Amino acid sequence: MSRKTALLLLPGLAFLAAGFLVPAVAMLVAPPGEETAAVVTRLAEMITDPYELRIIGRTVTIGLIVTGLCVGLGFPIAYLLARSTSRWGGVLLALAIFPLLLSNVVRTFGWLVLLGANGAIGKLLTSTGLADESPQMLYTPLAIVLGLTQLFLPLAVISCYSAVAQIDPGLDDAARGLGAGRTRTFWTVVVPLALPGIVVAATLVFAGSVTAYTTPYLLGGSGQRMLATQLFTYASVSVDWAAASATALIMTILVFLVSAVSSLAGRKGATT
Amino acid sequence: MSTAAAFVGVTQRFGDFTAVDAIDLEIPEGKLTTLLGPSGCGKTTSLRMLAGYSQPTSGTITIHGVDSTRLPPEKRGLGMVFQSYALFPHMTVAENVAYGLKIRKVGKKETNQRVADTLDLVGLGHLSASKPKKLSGGQQQRVALARAIAIQPRLLLLDEPLSNLDARLRVQMRAEIRRIQSETGLTVVLVTHDQDEALEMSDLMVLMKSGRIMQSGAPREVFSQPANRFVADFLGYENFFTDKSGIFRTIRPEYLSLGGDKTGERLEATVVSTAYRGVDLLVTLEAVDGAGQTVRLIADVRNAAAIEPGQKTTVTADPAHLVPLENSGKE
Amino acid sequence: MRGNGTRRPVAATLAVLGYIIMIVPILFVVATAFSAGRTLRFPPEGFSLQWFEAAVTYDPFMESLVSSLYLAIGATALALLLGVPATIAIHRGRIPGRGLLEGLFLSPLIVPELVVGLALYQQLMIGLGLDNLTTLLLGHTALLLPYAVRVTGASLALADPAVEEAARGLGASPVRAFLTVTLPLLRPGIFSAGLLGFVTSFNNVPLSLLLQDREFRTLPVTMLDYVQQSYNPRIAAMATLILAATVVIAVIAERTVGFAKIFGGINR
Repeated sequence: MSRKTALLLLPGLAFLAAGFLVPAVAMLVAPPGEETAAVVTRLAEMITDPYELRIIGRTVTIGLIVTGLCVGLGFPIAYLLARSTSRWGGVLLALAIFPLLLSNVVRTFGWLVLLGANGAIGKLLTSTGLADESPQMLYTPLAIVLGLTQLFLPLAVISCYSAVAQIDPGLDDAARGLGAGRTRTFWTVVVPLALPGIVVAATLVFAGSVTAYTTPYLLGGSGQRMLATQLFTYASVSVDWAAASATALIMTILVFLVSAVSSLAGRKGATT
Repeated sequence: MSTAAAFVGVTQRFGDFTAVDAIDLEIPEGKLTTLLGPSGCGKTTSLRMLAGYSQPTSGTITIHGVDSTRLPPEKRGLGMVFQSYALFPHMTVAENVAYGLKIRKVGKKETNQRVADTLDLVGLGHLSASKPKKLSGGQQQRVALARAIAIQPRLLLLDEPLSNLDARLRVQMRAEIRRIQSETGLTVVLVTHDQDEALEMSDLMVLMKSGRIMQSGAPREVFSQPANRFVADFLGYENFFTDKSGIFRTIRPEYLSLGGDKTGERLEATVVSTAYRGVDLLVTLEAVDGAGQTVRLIADVRNAAAIEPGQKTTVTADPAHLVPLENSGKE
Repeated sequence: MRGNGTRRPVAATLAVLGYIIMIVPILFVVATAFSAGRTLRFPPEGFSLQWFEAAVTYDPFMESLVSSLYLAIGATALALLLGVPATIAIHRGRIPGRGLLEGLFLSPLIVPELVVGLALYQQLMIGLGLDNLTTLLLGHTALLLPYAVRVTGASLALADPAVEEAARGLGASPVRAFLTVTLPLLRPGIFSAGLLGFVTSFNNVPLSLLLQDREFRTLPVTMLDYVQQSYNPRIAAMATLILAATVVIAVIAERTVGFAKIFGGINR
């Protein structure tokens, strides 16, 4: 490496080390005022504690449901947009991407208005006589699932869109010409070819869902704790460093695990 | 004839790979020299070393008698046209051409004049305000040429300048570059893998293979007297055989005749296949040569009677076009 | 959509449902912001702009807005200043293990931001006693480096390396060739990275959450706290103002570089 190259790299690397790498590694090894073993001990306690296990279970379950919803709704959007020849295609694509620029707080906040005690959905249910009184929707897993789906759907749309856009529409025509119906063409040609994009989408959504804070905080409340809200409580309310670090470790492992699985799946998909 | 630039024992290694292997070459002043060869022969590497974009592992490169081996490209004052043209996409045609003049602190008035003159020279005066993206491949090529010429370079270097153009335009640009070269009197070094291009354009033709110079000389001389099998093969000599006196020779398909009614070196042969091509007939034959080897011959015959595969015939090689090669079949 | 959506009824139905989930909640925030009533409810009681006034005159919002802008601009500028040279070194320098190095710069994207926030809180604020502004600036810069490296890297990869050589051949020194040729070609990438970086930093909650201080608080976290205490349309008005600003940014993005292009850079 030439001296010039090193000079270009070093400042960035230094900041990266100070603002991310060193603190992240140090936290897992040595939380302040505690023995290194404390984190490991707490971790061992957590994965046998039913309360903690429920939180982990809830986080993973919600993550999986949101991933399914985002792919299930995002792929059709991406598919229709990629195959659209209409002028509106571009506008609709922009509309799907725009929320990515918008604050999560603002986006999640809408559900408070919709699902709250005086919210629009409750009103709709009572005024149409579908329910006698507005059911409890806020601070339920359903609210979190809806909030997270709204949050991560744009991400799923873009990932799937770039995958579908690369598929030659001629292949659809070829499959149709060989006698495959519209549905069969979709499942036997489009979906397999777009699979790498779908895997990327699923990974991003799952990793985002199990680490999101704003949504479970606003829509889940204290009754529906997820790993992120629990971590905040340990770090900020009970100031239990070992527990906070252990929770952080669980979250990190979860994300790494799903990234590893998906990159393995991606590699396998590439060779077949 | 004076020398514009010279390579003396120049070697370029990339790790274990030797791209250019101890070449010696003199580029004549005011002439057009082509470096010709298949991809990977070291021709582009040599050009890049001459331009200063890479430095030889060993050896010396002199430009106008001055050792320039370690000189950075901006200090060499050469004009280079890249294969990709490398036009600055954010500048107009005129700004592209003016770039080198600006760096040379040429006055505004003179810059405008020289830009206009150079664009006229390449026939693009009317497009000076366009962005490169809006131009066709051939036009972009001319801009690249104008940009390199505008700085009045000591040498003009062209790296496969015509390879991205379609066939018709390519032939047109050959004449164009030749015209510009003779009008400006520039020393030009052109890299190409197309022997027609090299034959048509060069004053000096340098054939390279695996980092070495296989033969150099005037096109007519190289074409009629290839020094070895590689050069002959590259220039389309299809037939290689040992004659009755044991000399390894080559001849072009058009100088072989069938039927044995002419004088010359004769071989008894069997027709393998024929391909009718309108003006001529390409006949592939098999024969046993003077060394007892079975050789494949290709004859390009005109006005020939119908001939069938399997038929036996006599092949006659025109002695005036039989070329002796320096080595025996092996390259 | 090629002809019309009814030819693919299932896909079209799912797509419509998806758009409803993405967009409708946002519209409800806007509707409530114009309420004349005192609480967050739907339909809003009457029409007024009073809550917008309440939002822009509410000190905690305005102070934290200034802090958030300060942080976002600072972190974005730093990330570009550090990230662009690094990207050039990664793409144009001859370095062994180039992929590994790029991976290192992208690594902040993999670790959950809340976890990074916790690490910075523990190690830098409590461990080293750094103040929260410095810590936030460090953390946000590290978080934005991946954007700078990946987005400008994408536009660098598209640029013909011969262009810089051509400038050198015409007499430009390495520095001049960089300033007059390479940098202008990177401009769209740098602009995209800057815009994405700014928005990411400004909107960030998880990384900033544990790094708050009485003196220096960021707007999104202040808004989260506000919801916890009072439940009135002031927050909807603030959210609507942020939405309006985001629309402006989106329009600028669309007009300059193109919307989809900007996001093309993040998703590999």
